[in-house]
Amino acid sequence: MSSIYVLIPLAILLVSIAIGVFFWAVKSNQFEDLERHGSSILFDDDLPKKTPKTQSQKQSPLNKSDE
Amino acid sequence: MPAKCFHCGLNIPPQFNFHTNVLGNRQSFCCPGCCAVADAIVNNGLEDYYHYRSEFADKASENEDGLLQKLKIFDDDSILQEFVESHDDASEIQLTISGINCAACGWLIEKQLAKLAGIIKVGVNVSSRRASLTWNNKQLKLSQILSHIEKIGYHAKPFQPEQHEAAFRQENKAFLKRLGLAGIMTMQVMMLNIGVFFDLFGHIDAQTKQYFNWISLLLTTPVMLYSASEFYISAMRGLRSRTFNMDVPITVALGITYISGVFATAQNTGQTYFESLCMFVFLLLISRYLEHSARYKAAQASANMLEYMPTTATLIDGELLLPVLAKSLKVEQLVLVKAGELVPVDGIIIQGQGQLDQAMLTGEFDLISKFTGDKVLAGSLNQLGTLTIKVTASLQHSTLHQISKLQTQAMSTKPRIASLADQFSQYFVVAVLLIACISYVVWLQIDPSEALWVMVAILIATCPCALGLATPSALSCAIANLNSKGVLLKRGDALEQIALVDWIGLDKTGTLTEGKFTLTQCINPRNQPDIHFFELAASIEQYSSHPIARAFNQYESPHTVTNFQSEMGKGVSGYIEGALYKLGAATFMDFQVPKSMQTCNVFLQSDCGILCGFLLTDKLRPQGTALIKSLKPYSVNLISGDIAPIVESVAKQLGINNWLAEQSPQDKLHTIKQAQAKHHVVLMVGDGINDGPVLAQADVSITLGAGSDLAKSSADIVLLDNELAKLQIIFMIAARCKTKIKQNIGWAIGYNVLILPLAVMGLLSPWMAVIGMSVSSLIVVVNSTRLLK
Repeated sequence: MSSIYVLIPLAILLVSIAIGVFFWAVKSNQFEDLERHGSSILFDDDLPKKTPKTQSQKQSPLNKSDE
Repeated sequence: MPAKCFHCGLNIPPQFNFHTNVLGNRQSFCCPGCCAVADAIVNNGLEDYYHYRSEFADKASENEDGLLQKLKIFDDDSILQEFVESHDDASEIQLTISGINCAACGWLIEKQLAKLAGIIKVGVNVSSRRASLTWNNKQLKLSQILSHIEKIGYHAKPFQPEQHEAAFRQENKAFLKRLGLAGIMTMQVMMLNIGVFFDLFGHIDAQTKQYFNWISLLLTTPVMLYSASEFYISAMRGLRSRTFNMDVPITVALGITYISGVFATAQNTGQTYFESLCMFVFLLLISRYLEHSARYKAAQASANMLEYMPTTATLIDGELLLPVLAKSLKVEQLVLVKAGELVPVDGIIIQGQGQLDQAMLTGEFDLISKFTGDKVLAGSLNQLGTLTIKVTASLQHSTLHQISKLQTQAMSTKPRIASLADQFSQYFVVAVLLIACISYVVWLQIDPSEALWVMVAILIATCPCALGLATPSALSCAIANLNSKGVLLKRGDALEQIALVDWIGLDKTGTLTEGKFTLTQCINPRNQPDIHFFELAASIEQYSSHPIARAFNQYESPHTVTNFQSEMGKGVSGYIEGALYKLGAATFMDFQVPKSMQTCNVFLQSDCGILCGFLLTDKLRPQGTALIKSLKPYSVNLISGDIAPIVESVAKQLGINNWLAEQSPQDKLHTIKQAQAKHHVVLMVGDGINDGPVLAQADVSITLGAGSDLAKSSADIVLLDNELAKLQIIFMIAARCKTKIKQNIGWAIGYNVLILPLAVMGLLSPWMAVIGMSVSSLIVVVNSTRLLK
């Protein structure tokens, strides 16, 4: 039982870090647009600059989400 | 089944044939607009948009030639100052973007803009349909950015955020933080205490239990001091204004539970209820947060409606013509108003003559001829002729501005209906506090150790939380339902009031009618096909920009017209194959108008006599008659600025018994106030600038998406797709919403009355009370969500 005297303060420390991260996220507007960022991970961010797309690149977002 | 447009998903009319290659396949489109947008997207290498999107795009509008010109005014420095924050070369602006339907739209716009040289940062917010933009103002102009967005089928405009919006946003963030903290802490404290409650850790010695208590106290303190702080502030505010709001018993319950917990921990005796306290705060915050974010969304949506399109004027400065902003004009300056332009300020005509359409100001729709020396009003549209106007009053003192001031006044005197739940909870709270005190005193005699916890259990169990949720949860579900049907509610409680409406005022021009002339009848005594006369009239009218001319637009104009002339306020004339034809009012004709044509208002004559008569009227919107029928149980009134005969004929056609004609904005306001004085609850439907004040005064007001900005800013409800038939849906949902609110209130009160004796008898410990309270709130919310369907 004596381990709880170490583990619980440790847990509290982790919880305070979690709360710190959450407050930071709220402050930096991460909760402003829940619709958008939920799916933004699926969208390809680095489009080729000038060359028109090839077939393999078109598939890339789907492949990524499969991995 | 007809094919669907690849871009917007609407049916493709069979005669159209537009194709382009998207994602390696040949796709069909419904119109050149959609096809051009898809082309632009593909050419920019953004066709992945079609891969990602979960909704179809809006139908693209056909390319407007004047669009670029219109956007140009956004490059004016004095406009930029209002919206743009500049640091050196970098400018920052907020835009409202219409046409965003899913997350892929945000991606598409960001990618499209990122390609422009000079864009520094762009962020699109899909849920509020806005974008914030930072760009280099040396490299790029705002109009270029806006037209770049137009190319891919979205419409971006600078807008004026509502004043409260910044506050709303700040509050929303604060709510999230409080909620998050309470949630995380509740989990921790629950974890410790559930174990102790149900002996999950086996036998726990007193020392460990004491340790757990101290940890719980440590974790609960931030919840108590930070998360719950809003309740104390609200309770204090209530007490200071001598009212008992719901937060008073909440504050008392929280205070007692916490302080006694602190004593119990410090003295190592007695019971603590930290976990109940945390959960109580967490659940309360969830319901408050939901209610708040619904209001925040409504505020954002209504601010998006107020797109800013500044009025410009052409200033005559000696020989030069300068484009300036209307609001910068000063008295005695000279302004040029060409045909088709809006008169920017009040003034006197010093040169030229014209025909003005004052429909926006008076609701009267026929043109008024104005000559040198006549006064003209800001907001009227110059349909014919070029005017030079001397400014007599700056924009702040113009009639237009006065109407909008009248609206602001009306808004502040608008009767407010205190909601049922608010009134009820007042008495309820006082009763609960009294019962709790009495039980405490009684229990002190029976069992002093239990007295405090009985009192806390009573306060928590009867917490009128479900009662407080009853109305807002039902309203926000009904609003979400209406939103998906194209009805925008700017004020949530408008729905509650609609259910009480018994007096309806309708505007005529633009609301019940389409606000443009349509050919309804042609009387020709010569037994020739009507189409022959239509083509003659259309040939002559093609050179005129008068609203009457537009009624003939739909017909072909095969004849060549020479020597076209137009006479102000009378009609037009021209030579076809050597013969003189005249088209216009009876006074313009050279011959006596035959008796058979007396109902007509426009006539066509040739050299040899009057050929035929046309009846041109403002066409009624198609759903009008059905709508009026469905409104039978209410007192329906037609209130129009138009002249009596026209209003009467419209009223007869639609079967409206009460009508008022030639009403100025002040008269309309007076009419509504009178109805309200007779204890009617007034619903007003209108669209023009002249309706602004009445819309603000009425208990509930509805306007159309095509209405004027002033109307939109004062109305509670906007029908985005201009379909009057939606009124019936609004009434139906309002009625359902009212039933739901009643059910909710009934349940909340029933539960509280049921639980109260149990709590008074001491059968309920605080943690049971918390669970009971949350289950009852949950039932209310679930019941409300049935309104979504």
